[in-house]
Amino acid sequence: MTEDFDVEFIERGDRKSRFLVRGVTPAFANGIRRAIVADVPTLSIDSVRFIENSSVMFDEQIGLRLGLVPLSTPLGEFEEGDSVTLSLDVSGPGTAYSGDLVSSDEMVQPADDNVPIIDLKDDQRLELEADAVLSTGKDHAKHQGGVAVGYRHLQRVEVVGDRDEYDDAEETNIIRGVIADDGELVPTESFDHDLTNRYPGKEVEVHDVDGAFVFHVETDGSLSIDEIVTEAAESIGARADELEQAVQL
Amino acid sequence: MMVPVRCFTCGKVVGEYWEEFKARSETKEGDEDPDKVLDELGVERQCCRRMLVSHKDLVDIVSPYQ
Repeated sequence: MTEDFDVEFIERGDRKSRFLVRGVTPAFANGIRRAIVADVPTLSIDSVRFIENSSVMFDEQIGLRLGLVPLSTPLGEFEEGDSVTLSLDVSGPGTAYSGDLVSSDEMVQPADDNVPIIDLKDDQRLELEADAVLSTGKDHAKHQGGVAVGYRHLQRVEVVGDRDEYDDAEETNIIRGVIADDGELVPTESFDHDLTNRYPGKEVEVHDVDGAFVFHVETDGSLSIDEIVTEAAESIGARADELEQAVQL
Repeated sequence: MMVPVRCFTCGKVVGEYWEEFKARSETKEGDEDPDKVLDELGVERQCCRRMLVSHKDLVDIVSPYQ
């Protein structure tokens, strides 16, 4: 198990990426997925002190909405359990947005500015102070940095012959993910997920490629894709070291 | 009452798309096909799309009774 992993990007964006990893076992692939979801800490509002709330929602409802707003989390600056104070002061008529949150720390800002918190009518006002805490997805789902994280086997398509002339022409052969064709990686979107579009009139067989997984990772904006994946891998490494230490004694 | 901040199922932040979706979709206040609007906004999964498609603002209805 000392071989290097081979990583190849298929799609690379700020908040959404797909990449192929070769040389991993299914158990390790799932370990990475779970670490991305549950073990990478992010900042999120955890307690709120209301100074004035004359809106149509209860304090608790607004507290929940604030907790779900992703906050940018600088790596290595905070320990788990550290907190940052933010404040919000909006008077109606108008809408209070996540972008109206004023942070006491420049590095910690709402990742999305246009999330409506509450619609305020005439004479309504919302003023509050909130504490954002660094914690993991294990603790509360609002601390999950990864969204819809998953993986699929890379698949290899083999042409085994011609399709029978009298076969039902309507037949489709739906597949989702990424296929390998002569060393070339082809996302299935490029042929509308239907193999009969790519190999018309051919009979094909689809096989999983051993040890090759295509990860799909999205983030809520609190961390970048690179940060969240490397942090997840490091957290697995740290726990493996811990186990090694514990067993040696 | 207010649009949910995140998708209940996957956790994607969908609240930020609500105002544009409401202004453009023909099922709300606009004149465009809601299917195409959601595609353009980058709301791809069914779970996130239903959050916007099925939402109704209730603040205006509730506020007189405060």
